[in-house]
Amino acid sequence: MSIVEVRGLSKRYDPPKGVLAVDDASFSIERGEIFSLLGPNGAGKSTTIAMLSCLLRPSHGDALVDSHSIIDDPQAVKSVIGVVPQEIAVYPDMTARENLVFWGRMYGLSGAELQTRVGEVLELVSLADRQKDRVDKFSGGMKRRLNVGVALLHRPSILYLDEPTVGIDPQSRRSILDGILALRDQGMTVLYTTHYMAEAQELSDRIGIIDHGRMIALGTHAELVRIVGQEARVDLTVDHMLEGMVERWKELPGVSSASVEDEHAELLVDDANAVLPRLFEEAAEGGSRITSVNVSEPNLELVFLHLTGRALRE
Amino acid sequence: MTKVWAIAWKDLRSTARNVPALAMMLVAPLVLAGLLGFAFGGGDSFDIAATKVALANEDTPPAMTAGGAAAGGAAAGAEAPPPASDAFVGILTSESLNDVLDVTKVKDAAAARARVDGGDAAVAVVVPRDFTAALYGSGDARSAVELYVNPTQQFGTAITESIVGQALLDFNGARAAAAVAAATAGPNAGSAAAQAAAAAFVQGGGAGEALTFTSRAPRTTGGESDDVPMVGLVLAGMMVFFMFFGASEVATTILTEAQDGTLPRMLTTPTSAATILSGKFMSVFLTVIAQLVVLLAAGVALFGVDWGRPVVVAVLSVATAVVATGLALMIMGVVKTPGQAGAIGSGVYVVLALLGGNFTGTVTPSSAYATVQGLTPNGPLLRAWDAAMRGGSLGEIASYLLVPLAFATVFFVVAGRRLGRRYA
Ligand SMILES: Nc1ncnc2c1ncn2[C@@H]1O[C@H](COP(=O)(O)OP(=O)(O)O)[C@@H](O)[C@H]1O
Ligand SMILES: [Mg+2]
Repeated sequence: MSIVEVRGLSKRYDPPKGVLAVDDASFSIERGEIFSLLGPNGAGKSTTIAMLSCLLRPSHGDALVDSHSIIDDPQAVKSVIGVVPQEIAVYPDMTARENLVFWGRMYGLSGAELQTRVGEVLELVSLADRQKDRVDKFSGGMKRRLNVGVALLHRPSILYLDEPTVGIDPQSRRSILDGILALRDQGMTVLYTTHYMAEAQELSDRIGIIDHGRMIALGTHAELVRIVGQEARVDLTVDHMLEGMVERWKELPGVSSASVEDEHAELLVDDANAVLPRLFEEAAEGGSRITSVNVSEPNLELVFLHLTGRALRE
Repeated sequence: MTKVWAIAWKDLRSTARNVPALAMMLVAPLVLAGLLGFAFGGGDSFDIAATKVALANEDTPPAMTAGGAAAGGAAAGAEAPPPASDAFVGILTSESLNDVLDVTKVKDAAAARARVDGGDAAVAVVVPRDFTAALYGSGDARSAVELYVNPTQQFGTAITESIVGQALLDFNGARAAAAVAAATAGPNAGSAAAQAAAAAFVQGGGAGEALTFTSRAPRTTGGESDDVPMVGLVLAGMMVFFMFFGASEVATTILTEAQDGTLPRMLTTPTSAATILSGKFMSVFLTVIAQLVVLLAAGVALFGVDWGRPVVVAVLSVATAVVATGLALMIMGVVKTPGQAGAIGSGVYVVLALLGGNFTGTVTPSSAYATVQGLTPNGPLLRAWDAAMRGGSLGEIASYLLVPLAFATVFFVVAGRRLGRRYA
């Protein structure tokens, strides 16, 4: 059952002539999945999140979050969502604990429940030992973790994360991604936005590719790469090319094409893992050695290139 | 409502941790009021540490001269006059100057100077050997009291100089009076009469009646009337002026929070824009109330200001805080960035202060300037504080509150509309 149902959502800033930031988006997010919006800067990811957070009124369309309309019942929507903004939005002159207590109150928690929940979240984001330190003394990664923790205080049904890993060191990025996967494993639904193809691929159960406000493709990673074909490309180099070897490779099951130029060969295969051992065998039988192999699996980068004619990363 | 308090509490705590803001809100008005109040003559309310003085009395009254003895004989059985320096020392050590001068007597000039050099005293006062001789002696006798000062202690030095100068002026005056009396009485009686007059004066002075300092200190004047200390009026002006800035400091957090993303984040929680703005109103209002309470208390503790009847002070405090809060919130509704708020806010506050008389005090009623003052949100508030300090009742200050509260209403309506539209 879907927890989010987006129906024909559009947003034009400063109408009638302003940017059409989101153009007739429709998709749904299932309970317990990580759904990513993947797209370059300016694609309309933050605008979509802002509308689904009831911060921005859509120009057209509507969305149901946990069956509450973002237009008709924003307060109900806000009580089931946890929003992690792109910029760190906590108070630097307050301690981690003071921040969580304040934000907990904003989510309507109080008394013993608030204190308990603050303690739990501090453990969850591994800041319990630093809870009495002011946030302006924290490292970037610690601030990011607190930024996520705030959104978890009221046990939301769905967590929105807008590019939470931009501009942080690899270690902190790793810990945030692991944290998101752990939350998903505990049953949390996550709406995640990113312009990093690898993050979307690693995290997501399903991915929506968005460009210029339009959802141009949507599906699992496997479904999306099928758009550009299922084949992997194998580039290899041999110490000397044998007479007729390319022809024999071509006849192997799972190889759809092979071409050769001097000591280099390029093959398209449907399953590199199955084909590679046979290629080595064929070469060895003829007394030739394969000196280098490179396998390119189809990826979202190629999908984006295929769909837009542009690279995902400028 | 708990959310409103949560926001207000958070902002109050932030302000309490913001040292520059506290300095602006609390220290600046007190320092300015102290300096200006003192400059305008409210100094007698000042609570300053007494200046440490080392006093060496080297005065050696001469034995009665031949002429003096003859005159003494003429002065029908009068005792030999006491040394004049006793009276001088008596003045400096009199009880009425205890709060101002902390005098230690030492045995000689060298010891006195040594105390200054050693930092144990700000000023050394040395009464010279010929002090009495010069006072009682013939017309051209001269003697100088020596002041040896620590140049870094300007304030203490100035106080001591003025007290010593005043005392010496009195001695000289007495001496001149005696000389006149002598000239009038004729050559024979002259010397004896002069000596008697001077001696009588010295005895009186020594008894601490004719020469007390306080009776000669410049009187505090409020210009118009009554005994409202100038420092109170100045502090009221500064207090209202800096409350506007204090209100602005906190109200600006609406814009900085919008920029830093914490305000949008609040709007993603189940908290309405109206609640958030109410929280901000509460933050600003409570901050300026706290600022005002501290300044009122400091006025009492440091300057001995009597603000007036408690109920009047309470009503006036709330009215002043409401005006400051409304104005600050309206400015936030009109400008877009914290930078603009700082620049435009400061401009507005300074202009209002100049028009309303925060720096100049209230002026003669019925003058054109008084009319202008009366039409600012702050001018009538200042008059109300003035009236409160003169013991005015609630009824007497009520009319002063009409214009400020009308302004405040407009401020809140504009602020509510503009901020509501922007964030809701
Ligand atoms: N407040 C705004 N006013 C006008 N245009 C905006 C505003 N915010 C974003 N845009 C424009 O809308 C488009 C989508 O922006 P955004 O949703 O922030 O993209 P993303 O988050 O994918 O980088 C961009 O062209 C951006 O310039
Ligand atoms: Mg964005």
